[in-house]
Amino acid sequence: MPAMTVLSAPALATAFKPADVDYSAIAPMLIVIAGALIGVLVEAFAPRRHRHVIQVSLALVSLVAAFVVLVTVSADEAHRGGTLAQAVIIDGPALFLQGAILLMAALGVLTMAEKFGGQGADAFTPMGAAVPGSPHEAAALRAGLATSEVFPLTLFSVVGMLLFPAAGDLLTMFVALEVLSLPLYLLCGLARRRRLLSQEASLKYFLLGAFSSAFFLFGAALLYGYAGSLYLADIATAVRAANGALEGLLLPGVVLVLVGLLFKVGAVPFHSWTPDVYQGAPTPVTGFMAACTKVAAFGAILRVVYVGVEANRWDWRGGVIAVAALTMVVGAVLSVTQTDVKRLLAYSSIAHAGFILVAVLAFDRTGVSGTMFYLVAYGFTTIAGFAVVSLVRQGGSEASHLSQWAGLGRNHPVVAGVFAFLLLAFAGIPLTSGFAAKYAAFAPAISFGGRSGVALVIIGVLCSVITAFVYVRLIVLMYFTEPPAGEVVVAETASPFTTVAITIGTLVTLVLGILPAQVLDLAERSSQFLVK
Amino acid sequence: MTGLGEQIMFWILAPISVLGALGLIFAKKAVHAALGMALVMINLGIFYIAQEADFLGIIQIFVYTGAVMMLFLFVLMLVGVDSSDSLVETLKGQKWAGALLILGLAALLFTAIGRAQFGPMKGLSSVNESTGNVSGVADLIFGKYVWTFEITSALLITAALGAMVLAHRERIGAKPSQRAWSERRILENRNVAGLPAPGVYARSNAVDTPALLPDGTPSELSVSRVLTAREQNVAPARHIESEHDIEHEIEEGSQR
Repeated sequence: MPAMTVLSAPALATAFKPADVDYSAIAPMLIVIAGALIGVLVEAFAPRRHRHVIQVSLALVSLVAAFVVLVTVSADEAHRGGTLAQAVIIDGPALFLQGAILLMAALGVLTMAEKFGGQGADAFTPMGAAVPGSPHEAAALRAGLATSEVFPLTLFSVVGMLLFPAAGDLLTMFVALEVLSLPLYLLCGLARRRRLLSQEASLKYFLLGAFSSAFFLFGAALLYGYAGSLYLADIATAVRAANGALEGLLLPGVVLVLVGLLFKVGAVPFHSWTPDVYQGAPTPVTGFMAACTKVAAFGAILRVVYVGVEANRWDWRGGVIAVAALTMVVGAVLSVTQTDVKRLLAYSSIAHAGFILVAVLAFDRTGVSGTMFYLVAYGFTTIAGFAVVSLVRQGGSEASHLSQWAGLGRNHPVVAGVFAFLLLAFAGIPLTSGFAAKYAAFAPAISFGGRSGVALVIIGVLCSVITAFVYVRLIVLMYFTEPPAGEVVVAETASPFTTVAITIGTLVTLVLGILPAQVLDLAERSSQFLVK
Repeated sequence: MTGLGEQIMFWILAPISVLGALGLIFAKKAVHAALGMALVMINLGIFYIAQEADFLGIIQIFVYTGAVMMLFLFVLMLVGVDSSDSLVETLKGQKWAGALLILGLAALLFTAIGRAQFGPMKGLSSVNESTGNVSGVADLIFGKYVWTFEITSALLITAALGAMVLAHRERIGAKPSQRAWSERRILENRNVAGLPAPGVYARSNAVDTPALLPDGTPSELSVSRVLTAREQNVAPARHIESEHDIEHEIEEGSQR
């Protein structure tokens, strides 16, 4: 018998320490991941005719379940703080933003599920790989194929969004950024109509997104060089200790990280992708992306700025102030010249990103709560707005050119009325959530932002007036202009899914306008960042 | 301090990596760009090994250069054969503006980062002794960064799903059989006898040589369109030109 040789590992000096996991704290993320993974399996094994129903219900169930768990967990203070070796920090802002993302994503899934009596989701191409306009594509349509993969992809994106504002270190934040972006790049390229435009949008978003990720990574590397750690808490300590020898790494690091994050919210001068992508992407995806990405990215900006590098804010604050001012002005002014509804809303979203940056720059707890309230108000209005855009059709495809919207109010008073109300909310007219949100965002800037804060608020108010002009012009177009000759523009009869999404979005817009106190209060109570 | 050997290695390999990186950006053909990237990655692997991160260096070479980059090349070969990039500038002067901005950014970063004074190098030897090289990496992946590691799987699944959604073309209906093809040809009355075979000459019967039609022009139908797109076809002209010489030689031979 041969002698058995026993391989023994050399004894290690330090024993392996597994990371502590607070499973309840990360349960919402785990639920959404599980939903996405089951969705992938459904794609592989479920028969084709059942997939749409299964995927939509799976996505909705996991999002709602995650929200319920989130609310339950947030009631218990014991689950606050860092978990998973400080990679995830569950604190007030993280919980608030995660809740907002889950609810908005559920609305987004509802709008994506719209079929208009067809076989698959109406907004998405039957087969992404078929050449646009080819007989193969037509055959796929006749055969009743559908890309029901969009629902698991949406869930993956939501996972990234949930992690993004809760990331405790820059590495986790970077991976979260990629997890949230990659599915969005794909979703953008899957529109059913005007597919070349959609594919162009997808490619543009992908290339520019990869470019901005590289900036973020470069900045994170410099900050690591400066602080010797990727954790935001350690970076904050290092910044306060002020290491003179390595000072040169700090400012470039902060700036590059901020560039990567500001790209995601579409702040000028990193906004060039926004109009093209918003226009090319399937309309429900545009709504989802506009609302949820903004929430997640502003959450990450808040965490980096308030937790990580707040101590040397006097060095980089000027740059961000300039970005905020530029964002408001460019977004507002260019929205005047737009002739496409989706592009118009894209420039309006750029302007809104500027308004939110004003609140971020207050550097006070009220600034955090103002930002978070604005994000919620803007997100619900946006999803409902894009859902309405997806209803208005001419000859079967979306009538997104402004001239096609002329006289819509006469034939479809309800749809036009809802859209007019949402536009008034974008403009920030009292009794809509837009007004309360603008107040919540601008008040801290005046109180705590100093002279630059006041200047920014003045620019913000002026830009609001410009954008209000744009929205009012659109409302006038819908109600007081003759409809164009030729084929009639119709608003499709929405299925219960879209109707529910639009109704909830509009109701939230209304309620936050009339009775904002409760949500404002909740935002205020959850505005304290935890470092560890 | 770095040893002399390491310094020599650095000063040889660093310029090569920079050249590889520049090749990645400026190469006209995608395959050349991919090879440039592979060169950079191999060099990175060597640098890692030189800095005592043996495991990382080997993995860099095996996984990135060996597996990932080669997959990349396969994909290029499968996808990019007959699609050519348009190099027309749609925005006038954007190259110059871009170059200017790059120079500006580089100057800013170099001056800012150049001011930093790094402390003495620590190296990995102490870590390698206390936890071991491989187990040190495992310690980080499954300990401190376990969530990052796990969540990356979402990224990989998304990538796989995305590749399927964007590239997998499902066949709709039955695949046409040879009989169906032939019936269709006869019904359409085009190429009833099948497509012409590639050139069969006295000197070449390769697939890259188009057949000659009775009037002497080459037939595009006889060669693969992929080869045509790559411009890898051999022009049959030289065979025609040599025809005269051959005939002459034959004549001479028969006269002897």
